[in-house]
Amino acid sequence: MSKKDIEAALARGVDLLEKFLPLKSWLLFPVLYSACVWAVRRVFDYRERILAWQVWLDPDFVRTKPDDFILAFFCGNEALGREYAQEIAREDLRALRAAFPALYPVLGLEDAFLKALFKAEIDGADYRVIVVEFASRTAKARDDLRPAAADPEFWKALFFVTAEAAALGLHLLKDEEVQDMIVGLIKGPVSLGPTVPPEA
Amino acid sequence: MIARRLRVPALFLAVALSAACLTHLGRAKRHYAEGQDQSRAFQTGQAVAHWKTALDEAAKSGRRRPSAQAFTVKGLAEANLGLWREAEASFLKAFSLGFDEGEAWASDSALAGLAASFEELDLEAPALRIYGQLVDRSDFRPALMIAAGRRTDLILARSAGLDPGEKTRALAALAKSLDRLLDRDFACGLYHYLHAQVDGHLGDLRRSYEEAVMARELGLPSEKIERDNDNQLVYCYVRLKDSLPPADRDALAAAQARWASKWGWRDDRTPAWKKE
Repeated sequence: MSKKDIEAALARGVDLLEKFLPLKSWLLFPVLYSACVWAVRRVFDYRERILAWQVWLDPDFVRTKPDDFILAFFCGNEALGREYAQEIAREDLRALRAAFPALYPVLGLEDAFLKALFKAEIDGADYRVIVVEFASRTAKARDDLRPAAADPEFWKALFFVTAEAAALGLHLLKDEEVQDMIVGLIKGPVSLGPTVPPEA
Repeated sequence: MIARRLRVPALFLAVALSAACLTHLGRAKRHYAEGQDQSRAFQTGQAVAHWKTALDEAAKSGRRRPSAQAFTVKGLAEANLGLWREAEASFLKAFSLGFDEGEAWASDSALAGLAASFEELDLEAPALRIYGQLVDRSDFRPALMIAAGRRTDLILARSAGLDPGEKTRALAALAKSLDRLLDRDFACGLYHYLHAQVDGHLGDLRRSYEEAVMARELGLPSEKIERDNDNQLVYCYVRLKDSLPPADRDALAAAQARWASKWGWRDDRTPAWKKE
């Protein structure tokens, strides 16, 4: 097995699948990753299982944190500290606490799916955009897959890509390695347009 | 004569069907066990794949030849996948087929599912009551662990709006209930993690640090929780180090350096999973 061969196969897959999900390449992460998991197992009801995939499978962590922990989180990340310098300086815990639920899973826990979802914003240090779009974009992630999922060619392409990666020894890689590989290959969203969080 | 002729194929058919059932049940058990192993290694995707396969195989086995074992494995896989209503039905079926604990497990699965439904509807008070019930008396580990985690988070969130005296009392009561869980199962990393979180809110950073170290050593149910625990551990370490007199500070730094080396961290405050 060569890790580079697998990466090349997945890269071809990303290019191919982007045709089905124009402007929404961040959706490729959950689809491609779950397809990789099932491809290794060679199951027959492949399509049904990928659509049934839950994005957040893990048991939840404790989300309520003390003020000082939140402050330490914002001060501990250099770029984040710069962006929120004013709030930190005046110890505006209300503002920091409001931004924390969106930023902590992405930057504090480095959740692979969320990093893929907000890749462009992370690269551009647009942290406030992550806070504004967090709820709506995560909720939209699965709904926006439906039009592509209705196209049989999409499934053929997905099967072809992951079968090739599986044949090259995908099963020998750790979950995290596969996730990182896919995140690295995905380009950020070109333009998602303005969105408003549901609670606004 | 015809009956005699049919006896041999019927016997073959019975053996083949029986073997198929055993195979399905055997596969279900194997996939369930592999799912547990993968989950412990934080290979969540693979763990879920195994549990779903275990569920399918156990369902096939249950359809062909209903048995308490088949429905118990099915229920366990469903509980791990958060399918509480389905788990309840499977455990009840297992109970009716002779699995004595099935009734209690079904009841606890039903309660866990009900509490989750209340939470989805933003009805926190009844959800908290149910989680409290499960924490106090459940012996069904998947439901107990979910209840302990959700109850802790809900109480912490509620306590944020209380006045300082009430908040301290609420958090102290929460810490006590986690102590009781630890008395029952001291080797459960999740309970130590929850204790570390509550201690952090109580300002007891020494205890929080120690609980987070124990949680890491004993193992946690997911990568996300382990990462959150690492962040708590580093936060407590940094704050404690700043507040201690020089001799104690050096001792703490030496201890943390040993743990960090054991865990393969890049330095005393950077876990290996941190990208930046």
